[in-house]
Amino acid sequence: MDLMLILTWVMLSLLVSGTAGAEEKITIGAVEDVIFLPWGVRLPARIDTGAAKSSLDARELTVQDDMVEFKLPPKYGGLQLRLPIIEWRHIRTPEGRERRPIVELEICLGSKRIRTEVNLNDRSMVRYPLILGRNFLRENFVVDVKRRRTARPSCPDIP
Amino acid sequence: MQSVGPIFLLMLTVLFLLPSGTVNAGEKITIGEVEDVVLMPWGVRLPARVDTGAVTSSLDARDLKVKNNMAEFKLPKKYGGLRIHLPVTGWQDIRSADFKEKRPVVEITLCMGPKILHIEVNLNDRSTVKYPLILGRNALKDNFVVDCGQSHCLPPSCAEASPK
Repeated sequence: MDLMLILTWVMLSLLVSGTAGAEEKITIGAVEDVIFLPWGVRLPARIDTGAAKSSLDARELTVQDDMVEFKLPPKYGGLQLRLPIIEWRHIRTPEGRERRPIVELEICLGSKRIRTEVNLNDRSMVRYPLILGRNFLRENFVVDVKRRRTARPSCPDIP
Repeated sequence: MQSVGPIFLLMLTVLFLLPSGTVNAGEKITIGEVEDVVLMPWGVRLPARVDTGAVTSSLDARDLKVKNNMAEFKLPKKYGGLRIHLPVTGWQDIRSADFKEKRPVVEITLCMGPKILHIEVNLNDRSTVKYPLILGRNALKDNFVVDCGQSHCLPPSCAEASPK
């Protein structure tokens, strides 16, 4: 009786340990291409576990009431976007604190289609137009910095 | 047997659950967004921010002075304030969105999880930020993958890093 119980328990433990947690997560590299939906714009993103929140390069940013209007960098097509501001948040930067508008974007990375919050700021001084921070990575990804561009955008319903 | 049963079952469960969280992607070890490491040979334990956005690693160095290619600094008081002398192996230009600076680079030895790492870190005063150590891609690339859904999931366990 006891032995049966123990065996059952062992099998259950094995099952649980084999299926829970990290298995659902996709391994991505230090840089990955993503696609913005519904526009189909493809951008390289720095995968940054050091950043609490994601951040997008927004040029010529103007705010009107609860809407923000900006352009993507010319290098990536310069598309003009108009999106509702979800909130304003203070972002800690190496220089201090800065208040930035937050919008919601739908992003395809690998096979995952994810709605996520990004803050907007002019990133023309730095290399990547998009930083994907911990708010984006937490649920779906693990990062292997030895890799680069190994998870091609392959979400269903994307041309 | 009746009283031993439940404890035995618990131990078995723990045994089976333990290894599942730590190994992934071949030989690489999964770590969280923040991990404790031990600075060797001094045995000082520090929390480190695991930062895939940083090319290199960075250590909080207070009262930093460089003389004749030797860097002299103190660890933050909160972590014991140990005074350290190390040879400068190079200087690094730090560039970020808003600023530029030059920092001395030294080599340190760390224990993270079961691994001993010899890595270069640049030295700067990090008193305004939360973590005294940033582990950038130079520290992560050979051994680790990062899972931001976790933190403190891999306590230092190098034999050489046991407290003295």
